Amino acid sequence: MTTAYVALEDGRVVEARARAPGRSRGELVFTTAYTGYEESLTDPSYEEQILTFSYPLIGNYGVRSERFESDRVHPRAVVARELTDDVTEWLTDEGVPAVDHLDTRDLVTGIRDNGAMKCGIAAGPEATPEAAREELADCKGMSEHTDIGAQVSVAEPETFNSDGDAADVCLIDCGAKGSIIESLVERNATVDVLPYDATVADVRHLDPDVLFISNGPGDPENFTEAQALVEEFAGETPLAGICLGQQVVAGALGGETEKMAFGHRGVNQPVRDLRSGRVVMTTQNHGYTVSEPGPLDVTQVNVNDDTPEGLESDEMDILTRQYHPEANPGPNDSLDFFDDVLALAEGKQVLAD
Amino acid sequence: MSDQTAEDRTILLIGSGPIQIGQAAEFDYSGAQACRALQEEGARVVLVNSNPATIMTDSEMADKVYVEPITVEAISEIIAEENPDGVIAGLGGQTGLNVTAELAEEGVLDEYDVDIMGTPLDTIYATEDRDLFRQRMENIGEPVAASTTISLDEDESVTDFDEENFRDRVEAAVEEVGGLPVIARTTYTLGGSGSGVVDDFEELVERVRRGLRLSRNSEVLVTESIEGWVELEYEVMRDADDSCIIICNMENIDPMGIHTGESTVVTPSQVIPDEGHQAMRDSALKVIRELGIQGGCNIQHAWRDDGTPGGEYRVVEVNPRVSRSSALASKATGYPIARVTAKVALGKRLHEIDNEITGETTAAFEPAIDYVVTKVPRWPKDKFGDVDFELSTAMKSTGEAMAIGRTFEESLLKALRSSEYDPAVDFSAVDDGTLESEYLVRATPDRPYAIFEAFARGYTTEEVVALTDIHEWYVERFGNVSSAAEAAMAGDPGPATELGFTNQEVTALAGGEFNDTHASWLPATLHVETGDEPDEEVATDGGDGVSVETVEESSVGRRFKQVDTCAGEFEASTPYYYSAREPLSDIARDEVQVDRDVESVVVVGGGPIRIGQGVEFDYCAVHAVRALREAGIDAHVVNNNPETVSTDYDTSDGLFFEPVTAEEVADVVEKTNADGVMVQFGGQTSVNVGEPLEAELERRGLDCAIMGTGVEAMDLAEDRDRFNALMDEMDISQPEGGTATSEAEALDLASDLGYPVLVRPSYVLGGRAMDVVYSDEELKWYIEEAVRVSPDKPILVDEFLADAVELDVDAVADGESVLIGGVMEHVESAGVHSGDSACMIPPRSLSEDTLARVREVTEDIARALDTVGLLNVQLAVRDGEVYVLEANPRSSRTVPFVSKATGVPIAKLAAKVMAGATLEALSAHEQVPEHVSVKEVVLPFDRLPGADPRLGPEMKSTGEVMGTARSFGKAYLKAQDAVGKPIPRDGTALVDVETLRGLSQKREDLSDIEESVERNFEFTTPDDYEDLEGALQDGEIDLILSRDRDLLEVAVDEEITYFSTVPSARASLEAIETADEPLDVLALSERPTERRDWGA
Repeated sequence: MTTAYVALEDGRVVEARARAPGRSRGELVFTTAYTGYEESLTDPSYEEQILTFSYPLIGNYGVRSERFESDRVHPRAVVARELTDDVTEWLTDEGVPAVDHLDTRDLVTGIRDNGAMKCGIAAGPEATPEAAREELADCKGMSEHTDIGAQVSVAEPETFNSDGDAADVCLIDCGAKGSIIESLVERNATVDVLPYDATVADVRHLDPDVLFISNGPGDPENFTEAQALVEEFAGETPLAGICLGQQVVAGALGGETEKMAFGHRGVNQPVRDLRSGRVVMTTQNHGYTVSEPGPLDVTQVNVNDDTPEGLESDEMDILTRQYHPEANPGPNDSLDFFDDVLALAEGKQVLAD
Repeated sequence: MSDQTAEDRTILLIGSGPIQIGQAAEFDYSGAQACRALQEEGARVVLVNSNPATIMTDSEMADKVYVEPITVEAISEIIAEENPDGVIAGLGGQTGLNVTAELAEEGVLDEYDVDIMGTPLDTIYATEDRDLFRQRMENIGEPVAASTTISLDEDESVTDFDEENFRDRVEAAVEEVGGLPVIARTTYTLGGSGSGVVDDFEELVERVRRGLRLSRNSEVLVTESIEGWVELEYEVMRDADDSCIIICNMENIDPMGIHTGESTVVTPSQVIPDEGHQAMRDSALKVIRELGIQGGCNIQHAWRDDGTPGGEYRVVEVNPRVSRSSALASKATGYPIARVTAKVALGKRLHEIDNEITGETTAAFEPAIDYVVTKVPRWPKDKFGDVDFELSTAMKSTGEAMAIGRTFEESLLKALRSSEYDPAVDFSAVDDGTLESEYLVRATPDRPYAIFEAFARGYTTEEVVALTDIHEWYVERFGNVSSAAEAAMAGDPGPATELGFTNQEVTALAGGEFNDTHASWLPATLHVETGDEPDEEVATDGGDGVSVETVEESSVGRRFKQVDTCAGEFEASTPYYYSAREPLSDIARDEVQVDRDVESVVVVGGGPIRIGQGVEFDYCAVHAVRALREAGIDAHVVNNNPETVSTDYDTSDGLFFEPVTAEEVADVVEKTNADGVMVQFGGQTSVNVGEPLEAELERRGLDCAIMGTGVEAMDLAEDRDRFNALMDEMDISQPEGGTATSEAEALDLASDLGYPVLVRPSYVLGGRAMDVVYSDEELKWYIEEAVRVSPDKPILVDEFLADAVELDVDAVADGESVLIGGVMEHVESAGVHSGDSACMIPPRSLSEDTLARVREVTEDIARALDTVGLLNVQLAVRDGEVYVLEANPRSSRTVPFVSKATGVPIAKLAAKVMAGATLEALSAHEQVPEHVSVKEVVLPFDRLPGADPRLGPEMKSTGEVMGTARSFGKAYLKAQDAVGKPIPRDGTALVDVETLRGLSQKREDLSDIEESVERNFEFTTPDDYEDLEGALQDGEIDLILSRDRDLLEVAVDEEITYFSTVPSARASLEAIETADEPLDVLALSERPTERRDWGA
């Protein structure tokens, strides 16, 4: 067993057991989900972060690529109380450092009290506390990753289900999870995926029924190209967004976003629909939130902290969610969001006819 | 209903009755929580429960408390008196649900305009009736196992068919579900009674026959066997607005085919991928919505990995109510299911209900946990040598222990330690073949230990998986435990401590002494004595100078962590903790928030419910906590039984969910800076921990006293020779007797005393392995087969006081004065364990002089033992002479019964005097009730095929009820009703007088019994039947008075009321004479008592 060190922004260096070797740095965040580690680890929204699992035992049911949300592991490093050999091998192959045998509950409550913090990790035979501290010193804040979209987006456009007989969806890939595309394709939509920096002309060329801004990592203000698209198409083409997508839409239309203390990451975030009164459980993974919705109506809120979870505009045909209706991991309680988006889009088709 | 405000409403809450297999203390916990929740909302609560040993039946828990039988007859009277607006049925287990259904069916609820609150009646039927349930599931596209029903029409009975016709019906059913093996299950019964996987056709025919008789709706279900699949449960909560959440899921380590109450269960699930978990979560929500359940409920799934990313599942069943699993889920997550259910029933929505744990979130969330919870059942294997304890779809366990850890291994080891179970086999004497066939392939209470043993013998994970059908992930971790133990034995304590063994256990593994009460598991090759032998100096000596100090120095420590419902995401203020070993670096912050600077006391709880140690000790522990808090002292609880009120997070100032061992209790003392520990309230579990705890506190230099009566005095009371000497000194009579260390000595003693004699091992209490022998032959058999006497395991041989009147006295002493809580007269005479005897308050056959002598003896013993706190004395009276059988300066199982019958809260008084008050300062006084209360026991024979169904010197009952009325006869009648074995008023009685004499020494005249039977019944004797068994099966006999074991086993199977002793037969006949008198239903607080001293 080799040793690892986790250097934290609050000055502590915590000893751990090295599982996958290497050095790394990123913003230390935690998720409270017990299942879905494969989906979380391949979720592009974790780019530039170090993911701590608050549930202590990770990797229990192995690793299968059918359950991945993208083609690689995104967190820069992984921290758990106990990682299985299966998941360790996978992370080793992916070159993502992983450590366990440390008190993750202590890390989690530290993040809760002091906010998401910068972190450096050194794991493996060569690891020293100094190495971890060096990594920490080089660690940037999430908002400083100004071109993070380039790290997670497709480079070239891609089309899914080109023969779909439902709406044509133009999905701006700011780091989209595979399940978003799958959820749309399952409903027989055609999905054109464009890179995060697609231009107005690129979108016009497709003439979609709905413009859909995906989830993604980091600060929504860094996604200026996507914001420009929203500004351009709002009121003209129906708009949808998930997670960072909601923040981009709100920000582009005069609303404001802000960084949260430590965000929402887990699969048990309660969201109440203000019209029906009904509460559903949602999957969330975000460190920024909409602080001012601008011209949009807040239709759903987080039961715990009242942050906006759903924004809508009847006038402009806009429908966004802060949480992840596509689940994977997490509850399928909100899959009908995709039906609603396609209904919006079909509204446009009807108009166009 | 929801338009009405809660303040206007009177709500009837129905409890679950006595503790029995399949229905334990969980409903006291849920009922007590619900009472509080309803009162918080301003509702007026009327409660009915026949079980006096519960917190929920304390007068202050509800506006009106009725300790009355849970029968339509009694509850109808309560409804007429109280005129409730609604009844909550979903909080009283199957008993509450069944009686509510009957009240509705008989029109009582309509007549008095009582709404069924929460889950509607239709839903209850839809979940109870398999066919209907399957239909509903198929309608919404949820997969269920193929199944069919064998049922009887109203005008049919099992005996109407000829054999062939019957077999044809069974055969057709088997074909319909795809052949054998199948599961045969009776509907509308508790805990899966009469259900099981059957692969033999003949066996199936017999099962179906029996099932049809037992079932309330004459149905037996035959189902496709999904044996071997992973069994999961989802706990669901839904409100009137259709918000619906999952509180947690639970994964059974033992695969489908073993009842979840019999299985080792883990929360959350470990081996199900997210996609499969979400599919079952969706299924759970869909099913609960379809059924229209409001409040908490539970759904079971079977799952297997079929090669797809999410696997496949079947819906198995739904419990439309709060259950044993919901108690477990509440304790495992911190989410108070019963409380929320009660509020939802009043119309509240989830997001309007606070999450008391965090104080900042609401009930509308799904808990996230950051630990692993393991539950292990506790079986009464030690009490029933004749019963096969192979685990199956029918429950046999009486209780359970739960543990929390940060790894599965830690959680498992803590759970095993908490269960206080010692394997019933010495594995070092078991060869590999037997280990495989009897202990690995066959699931029994010993299987976890057999798995460890297999790894110790070099079996591989794959081999163990193949033998046990347990998922590889779990088996691998059992292997980790085994290798850590091996490493410790080889000198490296690191892995074993990290994995969750205690320092004492690791010391023992390394060859040192084991100075604690219970171990989780120690290898068979290591001959360390553990368990119930507190007097024995523990064997292995300190090899290589290994001591607990050296282990402590070289290993990682334990820290307390908080149960917060949210995995650390929100700050929580509720003091609910568990301990976990720290990995590597010692970075953990202290999470314990109790006030170390105020006076505080740790109350040690009783662990899992077992025969001889039931919910009554939780009642006592809770009362101790409440008394301390009333006195301004902080009270912390250490306990591990998830079913109980004592482990509710708002019972105490600090709840420590831990095994009850000296090491772990000392940790709590150290952490809380407690000034005292109370070990007298949690039954034998807590008493046993006293001595090693005292030593451990001293070793650690902790300034904390064992409060009340000293450990030394408790020891004196249990030490036969010293106690005898003390009694002699005080001129108190005892049965003659002595100690024998060999067969020859025993035979000599017996011949001096004269047969029959009472024999028992010296080191166990609670009547375990106690017997009455009538001859040299029987005594020899007892010694050779039952106890194997030896110099270090002597047996006690005592004069048997046949036909004496036995008494129990519960008292409180403060060191000066003595308050007698109550004097109870047993219905049974000597030879029946006091815990199994019905008894009454006040006694009816004692003269004033005798009662005065009873008082005197009790006071003398209290003073002689320097008793501060509770004292229970068992006495026998023969020919005016009062003998002492036993004295125990601690809480007894009769404490709650005494308190309920007299209105004097003796457990609370005891805790207060232990904390320094005097009885005088507390203005405590004695009260003698004017009505008669009878305590009757519930026996588990119908759950334990093969058990000897006769009352005897070994305790066998699982729980108790109380019946109160103006006469003994009526009170006894009500008690039998409450037990669920009503005495028939007429019909045919089978009387077997000669066998009935069995326990009685005197050839007494039993003609009164015969005469009384003749007055009320058609009188028959066994000679009147050509085929007695057939007659019993055909329902020709309504009442049996006999002590013929074979006959009574059939009576148990056929659910025929019987009495197996002369005194109970007489009492039942006396009771029948009162059948036409009014039922005498009255709230507890309205029963009159007289303020005067007992025997004064």
